[in-house]
This record gives sequence, C-alpha cells and structure tokens, in this order.
Amino acid sequence: MSNVGTSVPRTDGPSKVVGTAKYVDDLSMPGMLHGATLRSPVARGILKRIVKDPAFDWTGITFVDATDVPVNVVALIQDDQPVLASHEIRHRYEPLALIACDDALRLARAARHVTFEIEPLPAIFDPRASFERREIVAPPDNVFGRYRITKGDAEAALASCEVVVSGTYSVHHQEQLYIEPQGVIAWFDERGAHVHGSIQCPYYVQKGVKKTFVLTESDVDVVQTVTGGGFGGKEEYPTVISLHALLLAKKSRRPVKMIYDRQEDIEATTKRHPAEIGIVTGCDRDGTLRAISIHVLMDGGAYVTLTPVVLSRGILHAAGAYRWEHVLAEAVAVATNTPPNGAFRGFGAPQTIWAVERHLDKVARQLGMDPLVLKSNNVLRVGDTTATSQTLKESVGIGECIEKARTASDWDRKRALGPVVQGRKARGIGACVFMHGAGFTGSGERRLKGRVALDLLLGGRVRIRTASTDIGQGTETVFSQIAADALGLPMSQVEFLQPSTARVPDSGPTVASRTVMVVGSIVEAAARELKERIDAEQAATGLDRRRAMDALVFRAMGTAEHVYDTPRDLEWDDATYRGDAYPVYGWGCDIAEVEVDLDTFETKVLGFWAAADVGKAIHPTHCKGQIEGGTLQAIGWALHEQIVWKDGAILNGRMTNYIVPTSLDAPPFTTLLVEAPYSRGPGGGAKGIGELPMDGGAPAIAAAIEHATGISMDNLPCLPEDLFERARKGRAA
Amino acid sequence: MSLPELSLHGLERPDSLGSVCERLAERAARGEKTVLLAGGTDWFVERHVAPATDGSEAELVLDVSRLPELRGISASGDTLWIGAATTYLELRRHPVVAARVPLLPAMSKDVGAVQIQARGTLGGNLATASPAADGVGALAALDATVHLLSVRGPRSIAISDYFTGYKRSVRAADEVITGFTVQMPGEGSFQYWRKVGTRLAQAISKVALAGVAEVSDGQVTRLGLGMVSVAPTTAFLPTVRALALRRPLDRIADSALDAATQADVSPIDDVRSTGDYRRHVSGALVREFFRTLRSR
Repeated sequence: MSNVGTSVPRTDGPSKVVGTAKYVDDLSMPGMLHGATLRSPVARGILKRIVKDPAFDWTGITFVDATDVPVNVVALIQDDQPVLASHEIRHRYEPLALIACDDALRLARAARHVTFEIEPLPAIFDPRASFERREIVAPPDNVFGRYRITKGDAEAALASCEVVVSGTYSVHHQEQLYIEPQGVIAWFDERGAHVHGSIQCPYYVQKGVKKTFVLTESDVDVVQTVTGGGFGGKEEYPTVISLHALLLAKKSRRPVKMIYDRQEDIEATTKRHPAEIGIVTGCDRDGTLRAISIHVLMDGGAYVTLTPVVLSRGILHAAGAYRWEHVLAEAVAVATNTPPNGAFRGFGAPQTIWAVERHLDKVARQLGMDPLVLKSNNVLRVGDTTATSQTLKESVGIGECIEKARTASDWDRKRALGPVVQGRKARGIGACVFMHGAGFTGSGERRLKGRVALDLLLGGRVRIRTASTDIGQGTETVFSQIAADALGLPMSQVEFLQPSTARVPDSGPTVASRTVMVVGSIVEAAARELKERIDAEQAATGLDRRRAMDALVFRAMGTAEHVYDTPRDLEWDDATYRGDAYPVYGWGCDIAEVEVDLDTFETKVLGFWAAADVGKAIHPTHCKGQIEGGTLQAIGWALHEQIVWKDGAILNGRMTNYIVPTSLDAPPFTTLLVEAPYSRGPGGGAKGIGELPMDGGAPAIAAAIEHATGISMDNLPCLPEDLFERARKGRAA
Repeated sequence: MSLPELSLHGLERPDSLGSVCERLAERAARGEKTVLLAGGTDWFVERHVAPATDGSEAELVLDVSRLPELRGISASGDTLWIGAATTYLELRRHPVVAARVPLLPAMSKDVGAVQIQARGTLGGNLATASPAADGVGALAALDATVHLLSVRGPRSIAISDYFTGYKRSVRAADEVITGFTVQMPGEGSFQYWRKVGTRLAQAISKVALAGVAEVSDGQVTRLGLGMVSVAPTTAFLPTVRALALRRPLDRIADSALDAATQADVSPIDDVRSTGDYRRHVSGALVREFFRTLRSR
C-alpha cells in the first residue's frame, strides 16, 4: 500500500469546495461583540491624550487603551513592541486603542468619535538614514540585528583576483495577500483564555497570551480554524490581533470577534523586508568563482518582531548556491517608521538571492559567458563546502535541476539566438540557480524539540495530533499519507485533529520549510512505533488487526508521542556563524522566457520552467502546486507588486490597487520535480519545499528582461514604469 | 456612507422610465440627492471603502437596471442604439456589434473580469464620468451621441460636450441617461482598442486608446479617438484629430503625432502609474494606431 508519492485527493478538499469549511468569520458565539482597532494617524510621535467625544453615546461600547493591558508587550524575540502604544508611537497604523460593540455599525461610528492628541516627531523611512542614525527611532542605535560570516580571507583574495565585479542591488516590500484576512474570536471563561482564529502557529499565540495576561500554559487554549493562506503573514501577527480581542473580551466579559478588512490588513500587518545588498566578487578569467564580499542592509520596520531571524536567513543564503573559497558576509537590520516587517515565504533569502543572481548575470556579461554555464560550473556539489563551511554530504540535486530546466526550455538555442525582436516586441530568456535551507537554522530544531502524537481510536482509526497547521498547503493530506503508509492503513482510517494548544503537542511553528521534512518525520516515527505495537499485539494474541488496535486502546497503549530526532552529526556555532546551517537544502533552477513590449515596457512571461530538487515528492500535485504558487508569487513581486508609501502611509491598500498577478498573468509553467532523497526525510527522503519556489522567480525574470532588452535591473520591482525610467536614463547616458 | 449603513438608503425600483423621471424631478426640486443604480459596480465599491457616518447622508437609490427602455441594442441603417443599462457582456455577445463595431466587444473584454462585465453598464460608466472609464473611451472614439431624458423632455448631445470637469458633466440632477447612438463605421473601417492596465484582468487602465478610422484614397475621412486616464476627463485628442483628419495618411509624421498627442494629454502620478510613463505610452499608442492603419 503506498499513498506516499501518489496525488491522493486532499482530505480538506471537499469541505472547501462545497463551502462547509468554517473559517473564523463563519463562526459566532452567543453574546459576541465585534472589535475594532484604533490606529495612529502619524508615523512617529508621542501620544499625549485620547479623547472620546462626549457628544457621542458610548453606551454598550467597550473601550480599551494601554492602561487596560496587564503586561504591555507582544512577546516574541524582544519585548519592544507594545500591545497598545501608551506613549511613544513608532509607525502609522500602530494600535492605540480598541473598541467593541454588538452592533458593527455603531462600532464603526464610535471609531470616528475617538481622536488622538499626538506630538509628532520626525520619522525615518530610509534604512540608510536609520543606519546613519539621523534620528534614533529605536533606542539605543536603531539596530535590530547584525551577523557576520567569514570563510577564508575574502579581502585578500579579491585583491588578487583576475576579474573583480561589484554591484548594488535592492528589493522592495511585498504583501502576503493571503485570501483570508487576519481574524480571531476570543473569550475568557472559567478555564481561562480562548482564541480561535486564522493562525499559522498556535503556540506562538499562546506564548503571547501567557505573557500579556500573566497566565500559565493550561489557562490558554489557542485553536486554529480553517485558514485561508498565510505565507508567513500569519506567523507572528496573529498574536497581536489575539491579544487585542482578548483585551476587549476581558473588559466586556463577552466573546469578541475581530476580523480585519482587506485595507486594514494590508496597512497594519507585516510585509517582506526591503533590503539593499552590495556585492563584490572575484573570479578567474575562465569564470571560476573565488571570493565574494557581501553587505546587506535590511529594513526591519518599527519593531524587532522576527527581523533578526529574517536577517540571519538572508545572510545564510547570500552567497547563493555556489562554491567560494573566500566569503565575507556582513548583515545589519535597522529600524524605520513603517509597520514592522516580518515573516514572508523565503524569509530573507529571496532578498539576498535576488542580489547574488543579478550579480552573477553581470559577471557572466563581463566575461562574455552564458550565465547558466557560469552558474552551472560553480554550483555546489556533494563534498563542497558552503559559505558557512558546511560540507554537503548528500541530497544535492542541483545538477539534475539545471539539466532538466535547460533541456526543457531549449535554453542553449534560445540564449545563443540573442534577443528576438519582432515589431515592437522583444523576447529573451533568463535563468536563476538557487538553494534554500530546509528546517530551522543551526541548532534551532535541537532547541525546539518538536513533538507529535498519534492516537489509535476505537474502530481501527488513527488520529494525528500536531500543532503544524494546514493553511492551504496540504499539511493534513501529506501527514495522513505518511502516517497511513507507516502504519500500513488506508488513508480513510487516518484523521487529523484540528490544532489546539490544549489538545496537540507542540510540534513547532508552521514555518521555515520544516513541516513535511521535520514534523512529517516525527509523524512517521510515531506511526512506526504504533505499527510495532499493533504487530506485537497481533503476534501475542492472534487477534485480527482491527481487534488488536482496539485492544491497545483499551489498555491505554494507543498513543505514541514522539520528539524530533535531531540529526546528531550537525554542528553549528552561533557565535561564529560557522558550521551546518541547515540539515539539508532544497535546490532549484528557474528559467523564464519573456516578451517585453518596447513601447509600453509591459513584460509578458511566455514560459516558465521550474526544476526543483524536493528530495521526495510525497504528494506530487501539491508539491508542484507549491512550486507554481511560490513562483507566481515571486513573479508578482518582480513584475506587479509594489506598496505605494506616503509619509509612512500605504496608498494602495486594496486588492484593486495592490496588484498581484491574475490567472491571465500567470505563465504556462513547466514544473520539473527532481528527487535526490534526504536520508532523514520522511516518506523516502522528502525535503522542505514551502519557501524554495519564492527564491528563483524574480532573478530569472529580470535576467530574461535583460536578455530581451538590454535593460539590466538591479532593483526590484521591474514594473513597466521602472523599465521605462531605466531605459530613459540609459538613453540619456 | 459605509457598507454597514446600506440599509439606511431608500431603495425604489420604478417600473417605467417615466416614473424615474418624475421621482428625479420631485427630489431635484427639493434639493435631495438621488442615486441611479444600474450595475452598481462603482457604487458598491465606493460604499465599501467609505467611512461610517452618522446616517444623515442617506440617499435614495433608484434601481434602473431592469427598465426595458434602457436595455438592449438595435441597429437601424447605419445607426446603432445602445441602451444605457446594456452590460459589457451583452456588448461582447451581440452579433451586429461584433460585426460592425468590434471595438466595443474588444473594450468590454478588458473591463474587470467576467463578473463585472455581467453587471457593469455603459450608461453607468458614463454617469460616474471617471477619466479611467474604458467604455467612455470607446464611445469617444465612436463620437457617440448621448441621450438624456427628464420631465422637461429629451435632449441629445455629442459625447465630446458631455464632460465639464473631473467626474463632472452636463447631466442635470433630474436627468437620466437613456442610451447612446453611434454611426457605425463603414465596411473596411479600422477600429483599434488597446488597454495598458496594471495587469491583464481586474485592472484599471493606466492608459487606454480607442480609435476609429476610415480611409478613402489614402486620406483619413473619419477619425475618432478616445484616450483613458491621461486627463481630468476622457481625452478626445482634438489636436491629433485635427492633424490627421482629411490628410493623406502617408504625410502624417510620427514626430507630428507625438507633438499633437503631448498637447492633448495632461496625465498625473497616482497609485497606478506615473505621469511621465503615461505621457510616453500615450504617444506610443497613438503612433501604433497610425502605424497599424498605414500598414493595412
């Protein structure tokens, strides 16, 4: 019996298709109030006074400000972000007060009768200005994090290299734009605090609630309702909205529902970190790469949130998928007065991979080489060492990825042909080679000790209990496949418990391309243990399988709880940033073919070939879906998406003007799965796949645009207006 | 007023055009505001983003979407009648329109997506008087006549005389747009539609150009142009028209077209694009229109 490797029907599919799946806004509680957040109209200032209009009838309206917050901190990495600002305001849309009412219309009206007296302070939106401390907007020095990686002696090596190339690259914000906005229902009862909502990481929310309300673990139950997408946007942010709803619930003694509308969601929640990356490389005339020096400046936004971790992932991927004898990589993240930037698929890596890939295209141009040949000649193989001096021991499928993408796209012919200009349209082709670390960085998994439980249920059924959420990516189905195969049971006998901190062990957050590879392997181990018990029970009693399973349940032997068996040979030094940064990497080669209109500078993606080494595709259709969806998100980042800012405010906070690609804008995808199995991956070697596809799209598109038009974009985005300006400047020069 | 306040608005669905006019006249006389609701694709979006009020701004909404007098497409000789409540989807599917005025279905296909096309109407597109209205760009290129009706009687005006400013028009508070007439371009006419939007569907135009031309013995004998999102109102490109009409096609230089186009547009920076880019694209689309026309 093999479910793994087969595209079985997804277990959560039918309820979503027929509309019976209950998202948080479909739920209601008796006596429930609606909550709203009152936000700062300025980017930086001192809150002097909150004024409630005395002419307005406040009956039945619950009002909460900072004085109502027991511990006014959103617990995450640093305790710098208040749940509600009490004095200092660091960004536009910062929550200052909360209101709730049973009538949504009265609530909206009440919101307009609260005003804030604020003494404005000068704000900083340019990370370079923050780095230079033109204002201190986050004491003591505006710095949220710093990292440094060294290997060999990059400076000395660069001085003696035959060909030295330098460049500066930048990337912009990106909104996750999950289809379901942020939302929760929260209440208190005799058992404690309850939160039900659209949440990627229930245990993160629990941690925040414990801190703010001074509660213990058993006092707080956080339940994930059916969730319409996250992409990282529901990693840390749901803690904020959950705390807000609970504050209102506590004061009103009623359940409180808070659902952001799209505009509030785009304006107030986290975005991808913008970054500026300077690179200097040295290589031989034949294209053998020798040394790289990288400087990353990342924009953290107003509070620390997850910025140091994003910066860490960024710097760990900054040297790309290549062999370098000498590496110097320095990264710093600083505060600005925009809403905090946070988790977003790729988590720092798409930023730095954009830079190194654009840079290597530039190197290839200077050497007169085919860029894919340059990249292929220097790409990491088994036995090579990465920038952190990690020796790659297994599961490096990049050679096959490059070959497959190159052949399928007819790269050699199209690239050699040069740009094809017909009328006012020019065609070109570009490539990106990349890797993405799977699972937590360094010693993260060892510290976390993710746990999963499997229960036998009467009637021969098995239930999976994990905090890993299905937010649309297929966790439920894939875990069921892994468990069913390990147990030797049909999928129909496996069920997945709705994640709730009261009922599932902490398998860690649903982030970092770790769910299938790490948590899936815990599911597999727990399932194997149950199977051994069942086999032993059958052998001892002669019962049939079903009765043997029931017998184990009756003897309270039906639950197997497993902790992640962290690979013991991994070595990582947090102090020097040296060692095994990740247990294994996913690998990819993306090739884009585009047609650029030479009049309007619109880019149409004619074809996209994405080859990805996933270790083992547990569910090939889902796996390809991840690759295509992630790639399209990357294409959107390159060609369509752009936050329009004015004084720290977002001018295009709606789906009509924050432009993501539609199905008509999506190119025909050719997705090529490569399976170089990881010895510790579940189901025969699966690796993480969630983030990898976000890394390659933008550089591949920009390379293709350059091939077509000669316009070399170092900065994202590549909107028609940007290409036009670049071409105009090129002509002027 | 916000969406939760929707129920505060009065809603009436008059059963005849006459009653609509009477209702409009009564209210206009009292200085009361009335909204004529056809497809609602603008009005509901505006309600959705509007802040809550204290309720005093409630309007009367007259649903005119089902009035038979405002619906339908008919041809009489070379004259095409399009009722104001005709939807984009109807324009896409009408055989005479497809055969004689392919500009209209081409434009309609680029409006929103099919759900919007099924609700949105050509009359509504004109009534909001937005310079970004794709449908109005097409009507401008066709030099359509706008038909208005009130208790004071009917009147017909050239679409080029309709606008008085950004989102402002000559339509009086008691008037309803009943429809449009268009002189259908002749056999062998050239019709052009190109929308440069923010993406391929569900997009508002950064710039769009609708064009109609007839050429006889190498001379341009009919020329209509309507450009979208480049001026406070739909742009009729009078300088370009004057430059090219009744001129030999091969004597119209690109440089002259560029200069004329730049004289006719005054685009701005907004969340969708920049004034500089729009200027550039305006010129490129006009050049493309004439390039394609010459190469036929």
